[in-house]
Amino acid sequence: MKILTFAAILSARITTFILRLIGRGGTSLPGRIALLFQKDLLGILSQKYKVIAVTGTNGKTTTSRIIGSLLFEAGLDFFENKSGANLLPGIAASFAMDCSLLGKPGHRYAIIECDEAAFRTAAPKMQPAIVVITNLFRDQLDRYGEISHMLTKIKEGLLSCPDSTVVFNSDDSLSYSISSSIKNSIITFGINESPYGSDDDFISDAPYCIRCKGPYNYVYRTYGHLGDFYCSSCGYRRTPPDISATDIEMNFERSTFTLHLYNETLKVSPSLPGAYNIYNVLAAVAAVSSFINDQTVLSVGISTFESGFGRMERVIINDFSLTMVLVKNPAGLNQVINFLSYDDSMKILVMILNDRFADGTDISWIWDANFEKLFSFSDRFSQIYLSGMRAEELKLRFKYAGYEPNMLHVEKDYKHLMEKIELDNKENLPVFVLPTYTAMFDFRKVIASKFRLKEFWK
Amino acid sequence: MDKMQICHLYPDLLNLYGDRGNIISMTKRLNWRGIQTEVFEISVGEHFDPEKYDIVFIGGGQDFEQEILLPDLLGEKTANLKYAVESNVTFLAICGGYQLLGNYYKTWNGHQLDFTGAIDIHTIGSTERMIGNFMFEAELNHRTIEIAGFENHSGMTFLGSKVQPLGKIRKGSGNNGKDGTAGARYKNVFCSYSHGPLLPKNPILCDFILQTALNEKFGNYELKTLDDEAENQALTAMLRRLR
Repeated sequence: MKILTFAAILSARITTFILRLIGRGGTSLPGRIALLFQKDLLGILSQKYKVIAVTGTNGKTTTSRIIGSLLFEAGLDFFENKSGANLLPGIAASFAMDCSLLGKPGHRYAIIECDEAAFRTAAPKMQPAIVVITNLFRDQLDRYGEISHMLTKIKEGLLSCPDSTVVFNSDDSLSYSISSSIKNSIITFGINESPYGSDDDFISDAPYCIRCKGPYNYVYRTYGHLGDFYCSSCGYRRTPPDISATDIEMNFERSTFTLHLYNETLKVSPSLPGAYNIYNVLAAVAAVSSFINDQTVLSVGISTFESGFGRMERVIINDFSLTMVLVKNPAGLNQVINFLSYDDSMKILVMILNDRFADGTDISWIWDANFEKLFSFSDRFSQIYLSGMRAEELKLRFKYAGYEPNMLHVEKDYKHLMEKIELDNKENLPVFVLPTYTAMFDFRKVIASKFRLKEFWK
Repeated sequence: MDKMQICHLYPDLLNLYGDRGNIISMTKRLNWRGIQTEVFEISVGEHFDPEKYDIVFIGGGQDFEQEILLPDLLGEKTANLKYAVESNVTFLAICGGYQLLGNYYKTWNGHQLDFTGAIDIHTIGSTERMIGNFMFEAELNHRTIEIAGFENHSGMTFLGSKVQPLGKIRKGSGNNGKDGTAGARYKNVFCSYSHGPLLPKNPILCDFILQTALNEKFGNYELKTLDDEAENQALTAMLRRLR
């Protein structure tokens, strides 16, 4: 058997090497080839690591990266799987790349971002020490199916890992509902107040109780269906979280809040805007809370964190900044629109909509996102560019939100798009690019080759 | 100023991916022509007045949400919906909403759920999902037009003798993947499996539905022409891909 494991590791490395040589950052092929040699490669390699698995709909990448930042400050050695390598073959390949050819682990900890649909099969193999479930929202129904099926799958994954400590978002009535069906030890996180004003309209993915189908009431809401929920019919309700945030102040650059960690409090100020990133910080702190509780480590780890690949990732191009914010579902896009509404200064907006498998082939979700709100502060955009395989559909969504079609520039070729932006941006306004998943990869490649940025697989 | 009353039935439950787009499309295209609109959201426990609305929209939902609304729908609302259909109220029903207007849904393992029976159709569950971008041809105002959308359903719907298909399938599965029909028409009821935003990029269909409702309310109503360049670009892009 050992020879097969060796062959699997070797094949993953050779494939990765060749892919890089031909300039492709492939994340799935090396793993698929390695698994042909050793079907249980993931199980064999991961058992020598202390695995922290992060799954859920939104915030997986950012939460994983914050956990990395905290481990780094605590002086613990770890590796992370690369963004995008979050299905079983990609995860297996990530372990194969980290350990030696004989399967000796390169690090003690593994922070593994895991696609929520892949969790059921990947989790039992990894037997993670800690599992973080960030939240559940409706996302790409063509790929993931109904939310209730998603819940069942995640529950099945957890039932096969009875020794894992599970971190739940207590404000999310959907994912938190799993907590009563498992016997694992549990840590919860949540926000103890409403971070936005009450004038926000809430589009809820879960207005009715997941247990008894009665309508939920809320003491307050944070966004979407998240908040201090309770069902008066069956008594299902949020429980006060172990790790929480209060006294929240947010601006365009960062949020500041009091972090409550069991009986201790700590003022933190991550340079990550938006309420959804407060959840990501809380989830990360909860994940490490059993072995990192030094206040300085937490404080420094949180404040020095820089956002990951395409998630509020900022690059300087010539004399202006370009910020990339991945969008993939209505809940996430509404959060980005909220974030953009904080800032009064002029900017350029670019949105790129693709409909490949990884983006979701069904793009009708754009009609659920609050473009009407975006339109309400549209005087702050000097230009709006639309791109991607479904740019025309995006233009239509903008038109029906109130925009004059002639205000919208459609440019599908990314090179031309960047040239136009550079040409038009005489005042060096900040540029915000909102791409879907595969659009982010393609667009990033164009600016990387043009401005010599680091490629993502390096 | 002329005004149209639109009912969005179960908006908090039947709102699967983008269904709101159809309401946005109808209201905007009426407003752009100087016609006022008022949208009434009617959900569980709320009375549906069959004489109040000019257009009724029902979207699609997940199984979980459909289980929540079924007891409510099969009460007083069923009789009122039937009455509205028979009194020529204009309806647009998508996916789950389409199925709910029919007689019943039989799951693939033989379990039958009775629905409203407002139109003579029934649905049989299958284990295979019919999913993806699709197109069909419909005869509207004696013109054949091409309509593009996205379908995602496992139910196979079959039409009774009084119900006409909305169109003929050209690419994709349509009602059941077998008989080549797409959607349904009965009196002023329009049904489709084109889930989410059917109307925004199919402006001819949207206007035909609006025209139907306006004629019903005001007699022969003249609908002003709109600039549909953006709509047609989106439609053409998808049709080109599917052809």
